[in-house]
Amino acid sequence: MTATVSLERASLRYGDILGLSPTTFELPAGGGITGLLGPNGAGKSTLIQLLSGLLPPSGGDVKVFGEAPFRNPAVLARIGLVPEGDRFPVGLRGHAWLRMMGELSGLTGARLDQAMASALAAVGMEVNGKKLFSEMSKGMRQRMRLSQALLHDPDLLILDEPFNGMDPESRLQLMDLLRQQAASGRRILVSSHILGEVAQLTDRILLLFRGRLLAEGSVAEIRELLDRHPVELRIGAESAQAVARWAVEHDELVALRMEEAGAVLAVRNPRSFLPKLQAAVLSGELPLRSLDPIDLNLDAVFQFLTKDHA
Amino acid sequence: MTTLPTLPTPARTVAALVRGYFPRLLQVRGWVCTLLIVLPVALSLGLAALMHFKQPNFNWGTQETLIVFHKVLAQLALPILVLVAAPAGIREDMEQRTLPLVLSRPVPTWILPFGKGLLWFGWGAAWIIVAVGGLAGLGADFASLPLMAAALVTAFWAELAFMTFLGLVFKRGTLWGALYLLIWDPLVRIFPGNLQRFTFIHYIESIAGSRGGAVETSQLLAQQQITTPWPLAILVLFLFGVLCWAASGWKLQRTPIGLAGAEAEG
Repeated sequence: MTATVSLERASLRYGDILGLSPTTFELPAGGGITGLLGPNGAGKSTLIQLLSGLLPPSGGDVKVFGEAPFRNPAVLARIGLVPEGDRFPVGLRGHAWLRMMGELSGLTGARLDQAMASALAAVGMEVNGKKLFSEMSKGMRQRMRLSQALLHDPDLLILDEPFNGMDPESRLQLMDLLRQQAASGRRILVSSHILGEVAQLTDRILLLFRGRLLAEGSVAEIRELLDRHPVELRIGAESAQAVARWAVEHDELVALRMEEAGAVLAVRNPRSFLPKLQAAVLSGELPLRSLDPIDLNLDAVFQFLTKDHA
Repeated sequence: MTTLPTLPTPARTVAALVRGYFPRLLQVRGWVCTLLIVLPVALSLGLAALMHFKQPNFNWGTQETLIVFHKVLAQLALPILVLVAAPAGIREDMEQRTLPLVLSRPVPTWILPFGKGLLWFGWGAAWIIVAVGGLAGLGADFASLPLMAAALVTAFWAELAFMTFLGLVFKRGTLWGALYLLIWDPLVRIFPGNLQRFTFIHYIESIAGSRGGAVETSQLLAQQQITTPWPLAILVLFLFGVLCWAASGWKLQRTPIGLAGAEAEG
């Protein structure tokens, strides 16, 4: 069975800048959700543009449903793209624009009406979809973007940072919707720079960093990789010595730096270390005044992983 | 999985774009286009009425009407109309970065510049016909009106297509278009021989009737005016427009346009 997506040393250059290093991977046929994880500038949008046929690869092969997607209507008819960014044609109403997008996907007549009703209902925009884009909230516009991607019932749904700007309730609704879509047999690729978001949706993750596919695996495998990254925690306490005495007793400690009002601890496996810290504070063993994670962002983690893989 | 819809044909793509973007005509840019072409004639009519009211014997003659047509409509209003309408075509989608949403649909990409341009061509052409109709009120010869309308409509077709092409080839396509339409074109009077054929004004004058009589002897650089038979002139403008729409489609088809709106090396 042909893989839904197949990249064979596919790369993309923007002039002198390498947007994506030669990358090889496959997304299997059939339904399911794959997370595309990486910090900003990792190459997620570049990869998405290759897959959705907006850009051709500078080198290698990109195949979607067994064919090159760039300017290929037969492939594009089976892809639904939700791009990042809050961009819509000015002066148009949501439902009129959606009708046009449906017609541009080859839908007509009753089938188009039905598809529009179904797509608007799926994202909860039956009423607000008639507004001008300028009158919609950012969340509503994001839902409209999603509705146009669902309109033609695509086999592959590609979403670029779909949770950006969404309130928690909308996020949960979108996650539910994506799970339903995956269960109905669609292959879904969701990009995000937040592991927690992706982990709630899928067990299969592609890790990108600086235009390179760094790792591919399950959430557990990726978490294991991330746990090897020493996280720096600044602990404010009345006695820095007390913090140091407590910290050196734990295997997770990698480095210790004393400061005037506390200490900075570099620890591995924060998921096992932090509960211990919590217990020590609660028992009064550790006179903690403040806790400040210094580099718990993905960028730091990815830089660590890059060094680790070098 | 469900059965796939039939892929949209070029004609269906054009129809969808025209229907989808139609509301844009009824917004500021659309009405600016209307005013640009209708207002000069309306003002002339108002002026003529005022003069007639003050001096009952006053009547605008054919010569004055020709000046309004050639000097105001053809040389000034039409180029500005093109400069306002053309950026609302495919260029607008590129600048607003909404084009990738359309490019991600299974449409024939090459038809997109024409599809968006046709909407503005139809709008502009309709108002051109209204404006030329208004010239009758100024005393224009009724028999000359169809050719005057044909001259401006076919020139609008060709100039709009030309500007669309420039907009796809150059980042500052409007600037190059403005230079061509407002600087190069009016120089037709001093262009020798066949060089005149590389201006739109030459064809407009060939179709609508020469304004040669208005060239004064004091214009020392003025060259002898050449003409093209009007059916041929209409054909040239039409074919030039078709060529420019085709070139625009070819350019868009070949140009990778990503989400950032920038071109990438393919």
